[in-house]
Amino acid sequence: MSDHPDDAPPEVPRWREDFPVRWAHDHYVTRRELAKFLTLGSALLATASGAIAAIGRWGRHEAKAPPVRVARASSIPPGGSALFRYPTSGDPCILVRGQDGSLRAFSQVCTHLSCAVVHHPERDELFCPCHHGIFSAIDGRPIAGPPIRRLPMIQLELRGDDVIAVGKDAS
Amino acid sequence: MTAICAFIAVLLIIQIWLVSAALEALLSNDRGVLLPAALASLVIFAVNGGLLLHAVRFDRDLRRSAP
Repeated sequence: MSDHPDDAPPEVPRWREDFPVRWAHDHYVTRRELAKFLTLGSALLATASGAIAAIGRWGRHEAKAPPVRVARASSIPPGGSALFRYPTSGDPCILVRGQDGSLRAFSQVCTHLSCAVVHHPERDELFCPCHHGIFSAIDGRPIAGPPIRRLPMIQLELRGDDVIAVGKDAS
Repeated sequence: MTAICAFIAVLLIIQIWLVSAALEALLSNDRGVLLPAALASLVIFAVNGGLLLHAVRFDRDLRRSAP
């Protein structure tokens, strides 16, 4: 005796069609369906690229951070360094004085995998101990190792003996 | 059809690379490359759409010409 009084075949839910219990009931994706799915993915990726371009064009731009006093210039000898945070307390930076006496500051976050870089004054370099990435302590450009983007530079001003951070460059 | 699928898949991989490169450029504030990347992705999508359309039309013509 049938469970269905009108003898109509029971309606199979779509998910059961797509995920059948028995191998014999499975149907494979045809090449045309695959091409349709791939083209749909292509449309989504084109949309994502457009969205990224729109964010870059009209999206939020970082507001200029207020000046912050980061150190006393006289407290850093040639080859010395000091750590500070700028523009927020979550952005570690490093202030270095080169052998020529000039002061420069960079983000301390390695552009490879975000480890903290340390100053090697004897070679005027910033060294990342995680994967041996090396940056120039003059302009922050990568010299060796896996990093490919330079360290963002912090713009400094000297007001008397005070070193003031006044802005941050893009990497 | 297999060749068309393979070609679309290769172009899709290029699009994935374009999206990741554009995201990397956005995060590093290098905004000059974003628009060219988006345009290239759009062109690739147009090529993919054209290939799919070609396959659909080919099938339709085949059905029409069948006895």
